[in-house]
Amino acid sequence: MNVSAHHKLFAMVMSLGLIAGCSSTGETTEDGAYGSDVSAVDQEGGSTVYGGDDDGGVSSSEMSEEQRREAEARAARAEEAAMREITTFYFDFDTSEIKADARDVLVAHARFLQANPGQNVRIEGHADERGTKEYNLALGERRANAIERFLIVNGASRGQTETISYGEEKPAVMGSSESAWAQNRRVELVFQ
Amino acid sequence: MGNQMTNRSTTGITRIGLAAAWFLMLVVMTAGNPANAELLIRITEGADSAIPVAVVPFSESGQIPSGDKVSNIVRDDLTMSGEFKPLPPEKMLSLPSKGDEVYFRDWRLLGQRYVLVGQLTRTGDKIEARYELFDVNREERILGATASSSVNSTRSLAHHISDKVYEAITGVPGAFSTKLAYVTLQRSGGEPMYRLQVSDVDGKRARVRLESDEPILSPAWSPDGKRLAYVSFETGKPAIYIHELSSGNRTRVADFRGLNSAPAWSPDGRSLLLTLSKDGNAEVYKMDIQSRSLKRLTNHWSIDTEPTWDHTGKGFFFTSDRSGGPQIYHKSSEDAEPRRITFGSRYNARPRPDDDGKYVYYVHQRDQAFHIARTNLQTEEETILTRTGSDESPSVSPNGRMLIYATKQSGDSVLTVIAADGGAAYSLPASEGDVREPAWSPIVK
Amino acid sequence: MRGHERDVTNTGQPPWKSPVALSILLHGLILGVALTGWTWTDPSEDPPPPSISARLITPNEPEPSPVTEPVDEPDRDEERRQEEERQRKEEAERRKAEEEREREEARRIQQEKERKLEQKRQEEAAEREREQQRKAEEAARQKAAAEAKERERQKAEEEKRRQEEAARKAAEEKRRAEEQRRKEEAERKAREERERQEAERKRKERERRLKEQQLEALAEEAQQEREAEERRKREAAAAKARESQMLSESQKYQALIRERLSQAWYPPSSATEEMTARLQITLLPTGELASVKLVSSSGNTAFDNSALGAVKSLNRYPIPDDRDTFEKYFRQFTIEFNPRRLR
Repeated sequence: MNVSAHHKLFAMVMSLGLIAGCSSTGETTEDGAYGSDVSAVDQEGGSTVYGGDDDGGVSSSEMSEEQRREAEARAARAEEAAMREITTFYFDFDTSEIKADARDVLVAHARFLQANPGQNVRIEGHADERGTKEYNLALGERRANAIERFLIVNGASRGQTETISYGEEKPAVMGSSESAWAQNRRVELVFQ
Repeated sequence: MGNQMTNRSTTGITRIGLAAAWFLMLVVMTAGNPANAELLIRITEGADSAIPVAVVPFSESGQIPSGDKVSNIVRDDLTMSGEFKPLPPEKMLSLPSKGDEVYFRDWRLLGQRYVLVGQLTRTGDKIEARYELFDVNREERILGATASSSVNSTRSLAHHISDKVYEAITGVPGAFSTKLAYVTLQRSGGEPMYRLQVSDVDGKRARVRLESDEPILSPAWSPDGKRLAYVSFETGKPAIYIHELSSGNRTRVADFRGLNSAPAWSPDGRSLLLTLSKDGNAEVYKMDIQSRSLKRLTNHWSIDTEPTWDHTGKGFFFTSDRSGGPQIYHKSSEDAEPRRITFGSRYNARPRPDDDGKYVYYVHQRDQAFHIARTNLQTEEETILTRTGSDESPSVSPNGRMLIYATKQSGDSVLTVIAADGGAAYSLPASEGDVREPAWSPIVK
Repeated sequence: MRGHERDVTNTGQPPWKSPVALSILLHGLILGVALTGWTWTDPSEDPPPPSISARLITPNEPEPSPVTEPVDEPDRDEERRQEEERQRKEEAERRKAEEEREREEARRIQQEKERKLEQKRQEEAAEREREQQRKAEEAARQKAAAEAKERERQKAEEEKRRQEEAARKAAEEKRRAEEQRRKEEAERKAREERERQEAERKRKERERRLKEQQLEALAEEAQQEREAEERRKREAAAAKARESQMLSESQKYQALIRERLSQAWYPPSSATEEMTARLQITLLPTGELASVKLVSSSGNTAFDNSALGAVKSLNRYPIPDDRDTFEKYFRQFTIEFNPRRLR
């Protein structure tokens, strides 16, 4: 059930072409897309990254119980790793409320951070271009803070996180359409 | 007794009758009057258009540098104010440069209300302007003066003349000699380049003061017009800087954890209002520039930002979403309870009061569009001033008559000047990329 | 007491014809009168002012025989009632006596002899008794005369005293009357004064009312005049539409002038809704401006100038062709500049 939800979310994110400059493995620390913004070149690369999240083999009855558990654990790790491919979280206009379908992904990130205490993450808050720049700076920060709190509640430690707000200064997508605005109201996790 | 009462009441009645009689006589007298009284015609509305004014090209003697002509600059200034409609020179019947050459009948025929004539004379490295302004209908000279500048700053000379002409006609000092600060953003090959620039009010003579590939935000003029405070992300994080324009010296005054944004100068130039989130979320603080000491002025779990002193220099306006969405609040003193100013829609932010405390200007959302609006602080009446739909960053001219703001034009952000009451718009010449966050300088004497 | 008295009279009645009985009756009556007289003068019954006791006594004085008379005096009604009662009883007695008399007759005839025998002795005794009676009567009469004389004296004295008293009273009365008169006089004067004042007040009131009425009448007259004027105007208007035409012409051209001036007026940016400038303008019959005068400044030079500029900017004012209308309304008029709605 969860898996299919994640599939959907993932597919949606992919289709929007928002996974910018992510490496394909997801295992190693992603050297963030920070600063590079959303260039067209990166988008193309990102769009090819489709995770091997096919779990067809898991149901094999020939496997021993041990094998099966191992396989399941492997599959779960793979699933989590796949989930952690998602590093961008979206918000409605003038809100900093984390959407329900982002929670599992954020939990996966939090567990990862918990499992890797040496791993730091920079949480970047953004707003769409509408409204005033200074208010949007504060709004972006509030979004980043909301994500940070969620990660900490779910296992990350305070020392691993850092927040910054760019307000409306670094849009993911140029343009003044509803869809551009929707993609720009976001928080990005940049693992360092 | 009863008799007396009756007597008294009848006296009362007769008294009333007497008064009535007098009143009737009065009525009769006044009613009789209109026959002799003059007709009175009341004019309660003026022309809804700009004042026709003829700025005659100035005569030139000596080596005057080519380039923009003084009269052209004056014409553009007056046009920008939204209050004047200068006559194109090609439509002029004559080109006088002195008062005794002005034939009022000609100008009246052209429907002009005022005529400005002048002469430019070069003496060494100086250029002197002698200029005269005439009221065509009253056939009167209402201004006659000389002014001079260096050869290289005829623009300053022209703006000076515009100021004097504007004041002679409207009774309000002109603001054409002031400056604008703004931020441009250019993306070349995907790399953004932010530039903090200062220019004349007409956008000319722009000079870059700071360049960064990280955002530059919120430029604010010091009251003496000599320094700018702004937010720069040049270190990767937002910090507030004070930048002395003449020397280019910069000081980073606020670099706290979290937000460092929205600086605003106090009228005495000694302190800044700013927004910090070092204590958890966005709150307004006052920083003494000399000592860097901070005083927290708001305390609320919501966003409190975009502070700006009111005209008294004691209270301040700010934006807060404590009601659910951003709205403008006012604190009459640093410790007073905030009072909400805007109610007209769900989104009202970034207040900018005028210098006499009559209006506060701000960004106002209505029907998914963002406009500049103002609220009369006495009547609490709200007026939407702009017709464009993605309007931001209003800044009022120091004479309170003009308003500059940023808006979208074919995808790019441009600056537009309107009359502060919402009159005609004048777009500043577009430069490449976005032009944003204009800040109108004070009048510097 | 009275019952006893009645008994006495009753018992005195049967021997009507007997002189002895008569004599006894008389004596009884006198005694009764004396007794009843005293009774009736009882102070508790009737306060005894001297005059009244004197009056009671006086009628008795000349003739003591009509003793029944004084009985009448004090209370005739009571007496009459007693009389009637008595008569009724007497009637009954009489009938009884009639029968008695018949029996008595027989007895009398039988006793006649011994009575006649006795008569002489009795007559002698009666003679004696009569003599005694006479003497007693004489003495009584003398005593009564003396008493009457005394009473006369007392009465005279009384009379004198009364006269003196009357005189005193008269004097007193006169004094009182005088006082009363003076008081009345004062009152009369006061009343007259009040009446005079009241009259004065009323007169003034009347005068004022008259004045007021005059004023009212004046006002009414004025009102009527005005009405008449209006009526005349209406009549005139109705008669030959000229006036109204002039007026509507005037209004039409007022509107035209207002429009032209509104278009020509550029309120300066320093203008506020509180500013008002008034200009008096004079036109030529051609519609050209002859002169303009700032009659009331707004206090703002730029504002005043904007108004003057507007007024002077019109080459020709729109004016009616009709000369009378022009002269009436547009030769000279005032223009007020006061922005109501600033942009």
